[in-house]
Amino acid sequence: MKIAFLGQPNAGKSTIFNGLAGYKTITANFPGQTVNYTISKVRLGDEIFEIVDLPGIYSLTALDKAEIETRNFILSGQADVVINIIDASTLSRSLELTLQIAELQVPMVICLNMIDEAKRKGLDINSEKLSKIFGVPVIETIANKGIGLDKIFTSAKEAYFNKLIPKMQSFHKDIENYISEIEKIIPANFIPKVPIRYLAIKLLEGDRELFEEMKIYNDLLNKVHKIREEIKISHGSPADTVISSERHALTMNIFEEVTKIGEPTKTLREKIDDILTNKYLGYPLLIFILFLIFFMVFEVGKIIEEPIISIFDSFIQKLPQYISPESFSFFIVKGLLEGFSGGLGVAIPYLIPFFIGLTILEDIGYLPRMAFLMDTIMHRIGLHGKSVLPFIVSYGCNVPGVMATRILESPRDRFITAALSVFVPCAARTTVIFGLVGAYIGGVATAALYFFNILIIMILGAIFTKFIPEITPGLIMEIPPLRIPTFKNMLMKTWLRLKDFMLVAWPLLVISSVILSCLEFFQLDILLNKIFSPLVTWILGLPEKSGITLIFGILRKELSMIMLFQAFDTTNLSTVMTKIQMIIFTIFIIFYIPCIGTIGALIKELGTKRTVLIIIISIFIALTLSSLARLILSLF
Amino acid sequence: MKTLVNINDRKKVKILKISGGHRIRQHLQCLGIHIGDIVTIKKSSFLGGPVLLEINGCDVALGKGIASKIEVEELE
Ligand SMILES: Nc1nc2c(ncn2[C@@H]2O[C@H](COP(=O)(O)OP(=O)(O)OP(=O)(O)O)[C@@H](O)[C@H]2O)c(=O)[nH]1
Ligand SMILES: [Mg+2]
Repeated sequence: MKIAFLGQPNAGKSTIFNGLAGYKTITANFPGQTVNYTISKVRLGDEIFEIVDLPGIYSLTALDKAEIETRNFILSGQADVVINIIDASTLSRSLELTLQIAELQVPMVICLNMIDEAKRKGLDINSEKLSKIFGVPVIETIANKGIGLDKIFTSAKEAYFNKLIPKMQSFHKDIENYISEIEKIIPANFIPKVPIRYLAIKLLEGDRELFEEMKIYNDLLNKVHKIREEIKISHGSPADTVISSERHALTMNIFEEVTKIGEPTKTLREKIDDILTNKYLGYPLLIFILFLIFFMVFEVGKIIEEPIISIFDSFIQKLPQYISPESFSFFIVKGLLEGFSGGLGVAIPYLIPFFIGLTILEDIGYLPRMAFLMDTIMHRIGLHGKSVLPFIVSYGCNVPGVMATRILESPRDRFITAALSVFVPCAARTTVIFGLVGAYIGGVATAALYFFNILIIMILGAIFTKFIPEITPGLIMEIPPLRIPTFKNMLMKTWLRLKDFMLVAWPLLVISSVILSCLEFFQLDILLNKIFSPLVTWILGLPEKSGITLIFGILRKELSMIMLFQAFDTTNLSTVMTKIQMIIFTIFIIFYIPCIGTIGALIKELGTKRTVLIIIISIFIALTLSSLARLILSLF
Repeated sequence: MKTLVNINDRKKVKILKISGGHRIRQHLQCLGIHIGDIVTIKKSSFLGGPVLLEINGCDVALGKGIASKIEVEELE
């Protein structure tokens, strides 16, 4: 049995999914966290359920790419049961989607999640009444505390085996007449498993995708246009607005019937929220919060890094006592050890505090507030506040960052945001910045690099906007309430992200180290370094030996730095590189060619041509910036 | 005619008209903003920044461009 979780953004779908399937998908307190679907099999006794977490969708008229993903999945008719997950505290609005899902005539369960939030707002919802109105089971849950999740499968089974298909709610008589007029002329089985009534309503609403699919049925479309005109004349507003007002009226009726509205409890949260987005205090607080996270990553990272590194160090130093330093096996073992210690000693110490910091920001719900605060600034670079979300996600990893551009409405904004996102120093590059500049030069230089990076991204954005002028309507975004992150979620999410590093990056690191060792054994590294020396020594002014590490960096950015240790055969880089060289190296790493994973994501989101363009731009920028840095820094 | 941009903090307004294209209208409807609805301004636009509204207990941020397309009438 395939169960799809369908609901508006930020209703808690992913939280419920994780609660049932184990922590598999990232949840966060902002609308649009999930941008692609995740399927998981869950075994319960001897039954197997397949559950599908989908991106949130405000209505079945998809507005952005993430919503199209959901709509396509639902219209493909794969789901045996749909669980409509509702944020109970926004019940009146959410029911508009419920009405549309009902039009699909698939067995359904309504899940009123966030009952705790609804109570806080003074809403007392009568589930039985709601269940009577739609004729489907209604359950109540508090997903982040795991309350009520056991009812999901039992109610899904009930809906499936008893064929509990939602009762249709009728519009006003004249609209119903128009709907049945259109229903009569839609070719039977136009989209298998999708009811004709749904199609008729979508046509009345002027759904663009559907018009496109039906463009060969000229008579039908002419008729639809005529009816839409008629409605516009008789109701005084466009047909889509009329349908939406009809739905709005229906939902308000249902809402008033099932809900008792009491006094909301005002808490500290509202006061804090008021300060966070205050027009004067908001910005200093924003800088303070980011600085706090930066400081935490820096200090905590250093504390963990030092003891781990020194253990491995002494081990590697003693190695020649056990294996002859000229033998091939010595090179292999050394490569293995160096790759292993690089992951454990240099990357992980910074990744853990960084992921925790990111999670706290996400779960509290600070990101949408950042989007609100940054809207004006983003307009300067031709984007709007929502683009802040992909940028922040990119600090974790560019791959989800590029994918997060799906929450943007216009293709132009998606392109510019994705192109700029790849210059955001991800966790991998953070380990380079902290492990090199942070460890050998200091905190001020590190902070300055981040600041410099933001400045360059802004300038690039301004340049992009010159070439592709702004046509975006601007920011339209829901700001969810602030929430207190649960400790468990924080741990699980950090673990999920760390696991990604351990399973993908770390093995790659070890393998690359071994490859480098082999190259060294056969002295091929010297050849490769010679080939790249014009770039590395002439333009960048770096030691020739660092050339080979830059090649590995295309696989994963942290490889470059970690392999420096191996390439120079040292555990203290300050003996082989000057501070200026470290800064140039780091700047080059931050800006040059995105890693393989990011290139893959770019191709998927933007196509090959644009990806190649972005890569070329990145090489150009990296070279310009690092040679400029070399020039300027050498003056001091 | 007043739009959402020139309303002060903490004021309640009624939405009279939403100009602008089909897409914008739809987007606003999805977030629960309809003609005739009553909304509270939580943060008015500051230096060309967005407006923060409360509608049926949800907060929605609207960029200045969009806010200027929504005609409203002040209540009380
Ligand atoms: N107070 C409260 N918070 C909840 C509840 N369920 C989920 N949350 C929180 O709400 C936020 C959103 O949850 P998600 O599961 O990411 O929402 P989603 O529906 O997957 O959102 P999209 O992927 O954006 O569509 C998270 O911060 C959760 O911790 C609940 O029952 N009560
Ligand atoms: Mg989700």
